[in-house]
Amino acid sequence: MPKSKLQKPIEIKISTVVAVSAIMYTSDLVALDAAMHEMTGGVSDFFEGDLAVIDVGDLAPGCERIDWAATIALLKKYRLNPVAVRNAKPDMVEEIQQHGLQLDSGKREEAPVPAPKPAPAPAPAPAPAPTPAAPAFSGTMIIDTPVRAGQRIYARGGDLIVMAVVNNGAEIIADGNIHVYNTLNGRALAGASGDASARIFAMSMSPELVSIAGVYRTFEDGFPTENARKPVQIRLKGESLDIQSVNSAK
Amino acid sequence: MARIIVVTSGKGGVGKTTSSASFSTGLAMRGHKTVVIDFDVGLRNLDLIMGCERRVVYDLINVVHKEATLNQALIKDKHCENLYILPASQTRDKDALTEDGVEAVLAELIKMDFEFIVCDSPAGIEHGALMALTFADEALIVTNPEVSSVRDSDRILGIIQAKSRRAQSGGEPVKEHLLITRYSPKRVEAGEMLSFEDVQEILRIPLIGIIPESEQVLHASNQGNPAIHFTGTDVAEAYTDVVSRFLGEEVELKFTDYEKPGFLKRIFGAK
Repeated sequence: MPKSKLQKPIEIKISTVVAVSAIMYTSDLVALDAAMHEMTGGVSDFFEGDLAVIDVGDLAPGCERIDWAATIALLKKYRLNPVAVRNAKPDMVEEIQQHGLQLDSGKREEAPVPAPKPAPAPAPAPAPAPTPAAPAFSGTMIIDTPVRAGQRIYARGGDLIVMAVVNNGAEIIADGNIHVYNTLNGRALAGASGDASARIFAMSMSPELVSIAGVYRTFEDGFPTENARKPVQIRLKGESLDIQSVNSAK
Repeated sequence: MARIIVVTSGKGGVGKTTSSASFSTGLAMRGHKTVVIDFDVGLRNLDLIMGCERRVVYDLINVVHKEATLNQALIKDKHCENLYILPASQTRDKDALTEDGVEAVLAELIKMDFEFIVCDSPAGIEHGALMALTFADEALIVTNPEVSSVRDSDRILGIIQAKSRRAQSGGEPVKEHLLITRYSPKRVEAGEMLSFEDVQEILRIPLIGIIPESEQVLHASNQGNPAIHFTGTDVAEAYTDVVSRFLGEEVELKFTDYEKPGFLKRIFGAK
């Protein structure tokens, strides 16, 4: 049956695109090629045309001269599809745009610099103090109703605070921290765009999956009993997720 | 002011149609002019449970497509003065339901002074279920005390919050009621079944009633007579209480505790 929806020629909706970050430490094409070859093990469809954001924020000194055409061609050879550049220096901008790439300003570049320092250790979880009490738009999203199976909530560019339960089958995602002042039973992904300092807090949790900056953990054998039904925080330590009772935090 | 109530669950086989039949009958028995609509197009059941399957001539789809008038399609219940049934079509599929068509039917029912319009939703979260819940003012969420049913109810609650007219127009949200069916205190005691407290802990909506597991329900369905008519049975009493609570009365919750059968009962057998 034709519904009114189908008659619109176009609809604009918020959507989230998954892209990989290609973090370049050098602009040396030979070294990059060798590294990519080793990573993919010569499997030509390793990346299957994934979208990629080239991050040039960590380039070694002296490597700032980038041959964009060759770099893009190199990534394409390994079936990565570069769409944007992150952390570009101002003098690179023009050349990047000439090669048809977008600039990803990444909101976290502006915010985290002042933010993480004044609110380092949110010691008692119930106190909503750690979220900066910004008078205007703080980038924090607050949800007061239960997040139910099949629902997905994404706090883009900021923190997510949920005052109600997050049930099994629900998914909550934030570019910043996630606070659940209730029971967290679904999936929680903090630091979704790569912020490794993001944390997850919940009054009680038995989640299906937690992830910080892409490092994830599932709980097939149940959530660790010593932290079950207690206020808990999860943070990224090195390459693993550290689950801690909030009360034990100094 | 008419109230549109959707009876839904996500999962199939939990007792939506049984509950729709008894709930609407109960409302009618209390003197309210009530219509119950079967939205399960293609798999109609409600007319069987209401015992009017041989009187179906026109159905909801005919009315939506203006092939029949509402008066031609409405079937008057054989027991209750105030109850009408609008059956589903057996031969069409769910896509034959259009949002505009359903809205027009509901508007006409409201004009006919129906106080309660009960929409018996099909299982699933597809088109038919969406059509049943779109115009709802209130929702009875029928849930069995087991994890998959609870999960599906959770999902359908999320859909009601997102897709109903009330949600989309930003008005007062759909009022949700939890109806737990096929409850067996004995199996809860034995740890084989979730308790009603467990279910509520997950779904977090007000409980409107608990219907005990009973063989009576099957008898009722086979006879084409809503379970609420079987006066004296647990199930009938439980549905009567649900109706009372829905109409704003305070009724104590029953059938939640397991009493071990006493000595005499064990000898002479349960009733």
